[in-house]
Amino acid sequence: MQSFIDDFNLCFVKNGRWEYLLNGLGVTLEVALAAIVLGLAIGFLVAVIRSTHDKFGRFPVLDLIAKAYLAVIRGTPMVVQLLITYYIILRSVDSKILIAILAFGINSGAYQAEIIRAGIVSIDPGQMEAARALGLSYWRSMLRIILPQAVRNVLPALGNEFIVLMKDTSIVGYIALIDLAKGGDIIRSQTYSVYLPYLTVAGIYLVLVLTFTALLGRLERHLRSTGADPVHNNS
Amino acid sequence: MDEILLKIDGLKKNFGSLQVLNGISTDIRRGEVVVMIGPSGSGKSTFLRCMNLLETPDSGSIWFDGVEIVKADEKTKNRVRSEMGMVFQHFNLFPHLSILDNITLAPKLVRGMDKATAEAKAMELLGRVGLADKARSYPQQLSGGQKQRVAIVRSLAMEPKVMLFDEPTSALDPEMVGEVLDVMKELAANKMTMVVVTHEMRFARDVASRVLFLEGGRIAEEGTSEQVFGAPKSERLKLFLGKL
Repeated sequence: MQSFIDDFNLCFVKNGRWEYLLNGLGVTLEVALAAIVLGLAIGFLVAVIRSTHDKFGRFPVLDLIAKAYLAVIRGTPMVVQLLITYYIILRSVDSKILIAILAFGINSGAYQAEIIRAGIVSIDPGQMEAARALGLSYWRSMLRIILPQAVRNVLPALGNEFIVLMKDTSIVGYIALIDLAKGGDIIRSQTYSVYLPYLTVAGIYLVLVLTFTALLGRLERHLRSTGADPVHNNS
Repeated sequence: MDEILLKIDGLKKNFGSLQVLNGISTDIRRGEVVVMIGPSGSGKSTFLRCMNLLETPDSGSIWFDGVEIVKADEKTKNRVRSEMGMVFQHFNLFPHLSILDNITLAPKLVRGMDKATAEAKAMELLGRVGLADKARSYPQQLSGGQKQRVAIVRSLAMEPKVMLFDEPTSALDPEMVGEVLDVMKELAANKMTMVVVTHEMRFARDVASRVLFLEGGRIAEEGTSEQVFGAPKSERLKLFLGKL
C-alpha cells in the first residue's frame, strides 16, 4: 500500500505532474469536439452532393471531387494524414491544435459523409415527393424533411464514429501536441513508472467515452419519443 | 377568368424503353371532378404525376392557369406545385413532425404565413375532417384513414386551385375507405377542381363529372359517368368494367 501511495505521489503530485493529464485532457477534448463539428459540416455537404448526384445526375464535378476525397481519406492511415498535414500542407501554420483539428475533422468528415448518405437513401422517396408537391424547393425539402429523418436513422452509427474519433486523437503526439495520451507518456518518461500513468489515462478515456455514449443514448431516446419508428416510416 | 384550369397537350413519357404515356391530351375545367380509371400499368398515376411535374414528361405541354409549366424554370415549377394539392396512396406524412407541423410547414415556409395564422387555419381544417384532437399527435399514432385525412388537410392548407389524388384509398383497410371518400365528396360538393386516380368505381360513378378510361398510355374512352359506366362503347372498357 505504501508503495502505491509513493508511486501516486511521484506520478501525479510531485512537480505538479497532474497538470500534464489535466492540460492533456483539455487538448483531447478541444481537438475531438472541434473535429466532430468540422466533420459533421463536411459530412453533410458531401453526403448531400453525393446523393443528389446519384439521384439526378447533378453536380458531376463536385461528385467527382467528393469521391476522390473519400477514396484518399479512407484509403490512407490517419497518422500519415496527420503527418502530411503537419509537415507538408500546413507547415507554415503555427498552431498545432488547429492543425490537429483540421486533420481529424477532414478525416472524420469522410466517414460521417458515408454514414449520413446511408441515412438519406434510407428515407422513403415519398417524403421528398410530398415535400416537393407542397411547393418546397429541393434544398428546403432536403433540409427540413429528409435530413432530420436521415440523421435520426443513423444516430447510432454517427455516435460510433464520434467515439472512434475521440480515441483516435491520441495519436497527436506524432506532431508533438501534448494531449491526454501524450501527457501520460511524459509522466512515464519522467518517473519511469509505467502502470499508474497509462492505466489512469486509459481510465479517463473510458469515462469520456461512457459519458458520451450516455449522452447520445439520451438524445436517441428523446428523438424516438417524438414521431415515428424511423425504420417503418410508412406515414 | 379562363374556364380551363389545366390544358394538357400531347403528353408523352417513357421509362427506359417502356412507353408509359403515349400522347395524352385533355382539358381540366374549374370545378370539374375528373376520375381516371384503367388497368394497372395504363399510365394513370404517371399522367397524374406529370400534372404537378413530379415526373417530367418527355414531350408535350401542360398549361396551368394559362402558363406553360413543362419548360418553366425551377422557381415557377415550385410555385405551380404549391398551387396544386397532391394526395398520395401511402399518405407520405412527415413522421418527424406533429400533425399540426405537417400541415403548417408549407404555408409557413412557402407562403410566408405567420405561425398563429397558419395554425388557426390548420385547426379549422382539422376540425372539418373531425381530427382537431389529433393536432399534437404524430403520424405514427394515427390510423391509415386518419393519416389520409390529415394528408388531404395538409394539401388544402395551401389553398390549392386543384387537388390531385393518386389512389388515395388503395392502401387503406376497407373499413377506413369510407371516411376518406366522404372528405373527398365534400370537397367535390364545394366545387374543388379534382383529378382522381382510383379503383373505387362507386365513387367515380357518384362524384365524377367526367371519367377518363386510360389504356396503354392513351385515353381510350371518356365521357360522363353515365356514359362510361352506363353505355361503354369500346370492347376494352366493357371488359375492364366487367372484371370489377
